Amino acid sequence: MEMQPLEVFKIEMPGEDYGAEKYKEIITDILQDLGLIRSIGELYVYVDITKPYFTVFGRFRGKMPPLRVRDVGDLIQVEGGYQINLEDEEHMANLIGILWDTYGRDKVMQPERNVLIVESDVSPEELVVADLEKEFRRDLVDALIRIAPEGFRNRRNEMAKDSFFFLAAEETIDQDMVTEVKEIFRGMQNA
Amino acid sequence: MLEPVMFTGGVYKHDLVIELVEDLGGYVLQTNVTQSEIILLMLIPKEDMPAMEALSKTLRGKLERAPLAGTEIAVVTPTLAIHHLPHPACDVAEYLRRHGAKSNMIGMSRGVGREIAQMDEYETALINEHDAVVFTFGNFVDCIRKKEGIYRNLTIPVIVTGGPDMKPEDLPHAFEYVPRVGRIAHRSRKATEIGSLDNIVAAAGRALDSARVAISKDPLSTTPPRVMEVVREQVPDIMYSYSPLPIALNLNGLRIKLPYDEYHEAVENIRFDEGVTLGEIARVMPSKMKNYILVRILPISETGFVV
Repeated sequence: MEMQPLEVFKIEMPGEDYGAEKYKEIITDILQDLGLIRSIGELYVYVDITKPYFTVFGRFRGKMPPLRVRDVGDLIQVEGGYQINLEDEEHMANLIGILWDTYGRDKVMQPERNVLIVESDVSPEELVVADLEKEFRRDLVDALIRIAPEGFRNRRNEMAKDSFFFLAAEETIDQDMVTEVKEIFRGMQNA
Repeated sequence: MLEPVMFTGGVYKHDLVIELVEDLGGYVLQTNVTQSEIILLMLIPKEDMPAMEALSKTLRGKLERAPLAGTEIAVVTPTLAIHHLPHPACDVAEYLRRHGAKSNMIGMSRGVGREIAQMDEYETALINEHDAVVFTFGNFVDCIRKKEGIYRNLTIPVIVTGGPDMKPEDLPHAFEYVPRVGRIAHRSRKATEIGSLDNIVAAAGRALDSARVAISKDPLSTTPPRVMEVVREQVPDIMYSYSPLPIALNLNGLRIKLPYDEYHEAVENIRFDEGVTLGEIARVMPSKMKNYILVRILPISETGFVV
């Protein structure tokens, strides 16, 4: 069963109740700004300001399939090739690049702003336009850096298949700190 | 007693307002023209206020008291990164500006962190040129307490803002602490958030009043607005300064936005009607801000007379 967006959102900051409440708002604001909130299912935040460090552990809601040509526009077979009518111009630049690489520049024409014609017998239907998963992970790292207090310049970032772990601290990060934090997150998940 | 007020109205016939201010013996501190609107910051004798109110009414303008007019307030953020800007700091700066203050935003070079935050000598001197300072800190009690070291060396009143509620005895070096501001990632629009900004303005007003009381124990030899008038008359090049506010007033002097090396002699030689020069009743020195000229008027105890 698929998780709801931000089904679990736990935040713990010993001795800093106001900070915990406020950081919940900040995290929601930033994830919303970057359009990431729908892709995260569980989010655990733990901050120990006396050490000090700021950590986040989260689970993704599900894997995002790569965006293919058939997802971004209508594909029609025309004389001598295929015509693609794009609905959303956002992917135009990527799509032209991919078509050039696959068919060669002279085989791709753009008679109108959102229409592309490919001279080929092979359908471009299955070509990958954008790797959403990769873009999402890149945006997520950016969001985490924005969320963590700015003074915490030493960061560790672990991206797994279905989860991510982020640790930011002022002092050098050592293995003990990582183990300690992971143990805390295990506790938070089981609580 | 001069009363600081702000006139907002149309550009049409606004020269009547300026004329009236001059006739009443007041001062125009700042003119701000935005298309067909004009905002005038002025000092007007209190007893003549009804005359100005009547004129403002005929011109369909708005006349408000601007308690912070004629002062410069620094708004300091730990850095200029996205974590601290734009929302909380810009909201504070804009709100102070609306109440008549000249607000300058300053981002520290090494203000971040709980353990590593520090402020250097140049930053301290730059902030000390203002009349008051507002520090915008974050949401952690412990960090706000630890960051006291940053502003301990400042000589002007320090208003600290942050998220959590704190006791005044936790921050002995701050003039006042304003809670419920802290780090936010959206603009202040809720009533509670706007209320916090009002609290900052009120705290700034109290801080400036305390500075005024301190000055009144040994009054200045002349008033900063009067110096501003003579600078405008006798150093006409100030007309060509491209700053939005070529002369910024402080409680104990002013900042003239002309290059120090070329103009400091002209400023020192400014002569008052009474015969004394500005160099005799004030210290003219280079400002820490760009290469501007900073004027600090000496108190009566040093000069022995009032101009």
